[in-house]
Amino acid sequence: MTRLDRRTFLAATGAGLATTLLTLPGCRSAVEQASAGPAGGPTHGGRIAAGILTDLVPANFFTNSSLGVTTVVGLAFESLIRYPNDTVEPTPRLATSWELAEDGLALTLELRRGVLFHNGREFTSADVESSIRAYADPRWNGQLRRTAAAITFFDTSEPYRVTLGFEHPLGNVFDLLDTVPVVDAGSLEQLATGEAFVGTGPFKVTSWEPGTAITFDRHEGYWVPERPYADGVDVRVITDATSLLSSLRSGQIQLANGLSYLDLDNLPSDAFEVLTAEGAEQQLYVGTDVTAGSLADVRLRRAIAYAVDRQRVVDEVLRGGGYPINLPWPRYSSAFDEARNERYARDVAAARALVAELGEIETIPYTYPVGNPLVEATAAIVQADLAEVGITVELDPIDQAQFTKRLIGAELEGIWTTFHSWAQYTPSTLTVSAYPFNAAKNASNYRSEEYAEHADAAWRIPDGAGPEAVEAYGEVSEDLLEALFLIELAVVLPRYGISRRLSGVDWTKRNEILLTDAYLGGG
Amino acid sequence: MTELLTRTGVDGTVVPAPAAVEPDRPEEAAAASRTRSRSWRALTRGRGLVGLVLLGLVVLAGLLAPVLSPWDPLQQVPGANLLRPGGDHLLGTDQVNRDVWSRTLHGIRADLVVLAVGVPLGALAGSLLALLGTLSGVVDVAVQRLFDLLLSFPTLVFAIALTAVIGPGTWTVVTVIAVLETPVFGRVLRSAVLTVTAQPYVEASVAMGAPRRWVLRRHVLPNARDPLAVQLALSLSLAVFVEGAMSFLGIGVRPPAPSLGSLISDGIGYAESNVAYVVAPLVVVVVVVLGLQLVAQALGRAARGVR
Repeated sequence: MTRLDRRTFLAATGAGLATTLLTLPGCRSAVEQASAGPAGGPTHGGRIAAGILTDLVPANFFTNSSLGVTTVVGLAFESLIRYPNDTVEPTPRLATSWELAEDGLALTLELRRGVLFHNGREFTSADVESSIRAYADPRWNGQLRRTAAAITFFDTSEPYRVTLGFEHPLGNVFDLLDTVPVVDAGSLEQLATGEAFVGTGPFKVTSWEPGTAITFDRHEGYWVPERPYADGVDVRVITDATSLLSSLRSGQIQLANGLSYLDLDNLPSDAFEVLTAEGAEQQLYVGTDVTAGSLADVRLRRAIAYAVDRQRVVDEVLRGGGYPINLPWPRYSSAFDEARNERYARDVAAARALVAELGEIETIPYTYPVGNPLVEATAAIVQADLAEVGITVELDPIDQAQFTKRLIGAELEGIWTTFHSWAQYTPSTLTVSAYPFNAAKNASNYRSEEYAEHADAAWRIPDGAGPEAVEAYGEVSEDLLEALFLIELAVVLPRYGISRRLSGVDWTKRNEILLTDAYLGGG
Repeated sequence: MTELLTRTGVDGTVVPAPAAVEPDRPEEAAAASRTRSRSWRALTRGRGLVGLVLLGLVVLAGLLAPVLSPWDPLQQVPGANLLRPGGDHLLGTDQVNRDVWSRTLHGIRADLVVLAVGVPLGALAGSLLALLGTLSGVVDVAVQRLFDLLLSFPTLVFAIALTAVIGPGTWTVVTVIAVLETPVFGRVLRSAVLTVTAQPYVEASVAMGAPRRWVLRRHVLPNARDPLAVQLALSLSLAVFVEGAMSFLGIGVRPPAPSLGSLISDGIGYAESNVAYVVAPLVVVVVVVLGLQLVAQALGRAARGVR
């Protein structure tokens, strides 16, 4: 091997430094690539880099079950109507107007003209029918499937008008229309295998490398003028929360979805901001199998409800990113009732008295999905709270996929902790759709004719926000508080970490990030 | 290998009476004493001594955990959320207000149980199977294929599969370690047996009609002790990693009981709030592994006659 002499080394080092200095000005970041807009206004161009914790699972496309799915749905697809984040009043999206029949059995929607799918085909009423029918197909496991299946008639004779006929009045039909992503009818099979994701959204999926990245380019035929601002979005799948945090801090990504609340708290506020997704609430809860041993006695379930320290969960686990609840409804919901929501305030003495009435209680298995620090910490707190009142539980952390399978199959024994959603929608949606609450079949194996009747009655009221519906929700709430097959702990508000160089980030009620109005160059 | 350990003479005739070939006992005893003394010297000076001291400190800390812990390792102290080291909490507190110092000490105990049961069980099972293989060629082939099968599983894949069947917990970790160490010890012992039985003095003993059990006890096992001791130290250090990895993946010791692996796994996410939460158990793991490696090296050098 030739030895490198001192002179050659110095010459090579000098040449390298000079080259670096000369080429550095030519390197431009994505932020710099964005063309400057009017002073203080949005800028066009550049590519947004985002990081998510969990990848896309095409077979779960209609289930909102992973950050990969919600990212693709939010960026590449649109729904017929859109709820603002703090209400359930529909606003136009792919449907521009609608009219509900007086008997509540039909809904006619006028569709937006000139909307193009990513493959260049125009959106018509046939796509509405195929998307809703696909959502109703059991193979996709959509949680609002029961509502979708209650749409029994489609009039698609006109391309820009569709009439939906219902089996019975559906108080939550707009929840369905807000939720179902409109998919190009010809690409549904490819969607199932992840070969194509063809929607009408502001960005189109150009590549998906499983476990690594999802790449989106601007949809040039997007129907909103001048949108989106960015040329594209590069989403990296970073399955480790520490690496996700490092990527955000080092500037490799401008948006992180999936960071712990503690990490978000610790982000320096001069360079980052934390967005709290109001309206996309989730609920942290303790589920119970009402057929398992002592749990069949409602007094034990009441003892658990009195024993848990909800405020501590909010303060120490959620870092203030939520609030304690006894019922699932968020504060703005028409079903929310302050008095009912405080019925099981922490009362250790009452819990102990109930336990004493019951006598000997067997050790109860307490299952939760491993890997989520919020759930793990909550389980540890609940276990200690229950031990304090004389209820012994054995923690049983299991794999997330196994947990979900057992939850959906109502195979979890004892008690469990996880999140649920859908209470941010029309209240009847929760009790006829979500796995933990569904009156027809739920994860707790709870059966009650009265509960089923009340849930069904609330669902069938055409105006899901009217006074009649609110009264019906009150009855459902009483059922939930009396039966306590599910013990609510806290409303959880999803949070995202964002670089201050990125502006205009929005979200949907299903925690889908929207980057239509997002642009780089701030901060 | 098996032919040499049967009671058949070199000419094919059955050789009687082990009493007729009783060896020179003082010479055997002297050889065994020399081996013991070499190992003892290795462990009482240099790297062996350092290794033993490090291990001793950790074992002592684990054994005295109830005395040295100011808090119950499961107690959630009101208001003490993710405190940094100092005051009432030497290493601070964790995300649900438990004392990290107390949990680390009790985590050592959990690891000691896993190591003290899992590895010796694997060593015993492996050795017995290896000796079983000396009975006949067919048994030896069957045992070796079983070892091949067990060795073909990556450790964590096997751990995850077993956990899916019997659930997580301390005894799952013990079972994983025992099963995975069985072929390792089996192969080490078999190799030692093959080497020793090929020695002329063993062949001579067999030719003189020494019974199989006697040959094993007098010649084979004493000479296989050194490689087994070295392997034991190495396996113990690997078992620390297996426990750590399983608990890190959430399939190890069942919470809320602490173990070194689960403490590291949990602590990583909170390093920014309390760095001692992750560093303390990590340091203990490093000390244990370093101690065991030094002991293994010292014993290995002694076995090879290296000073």
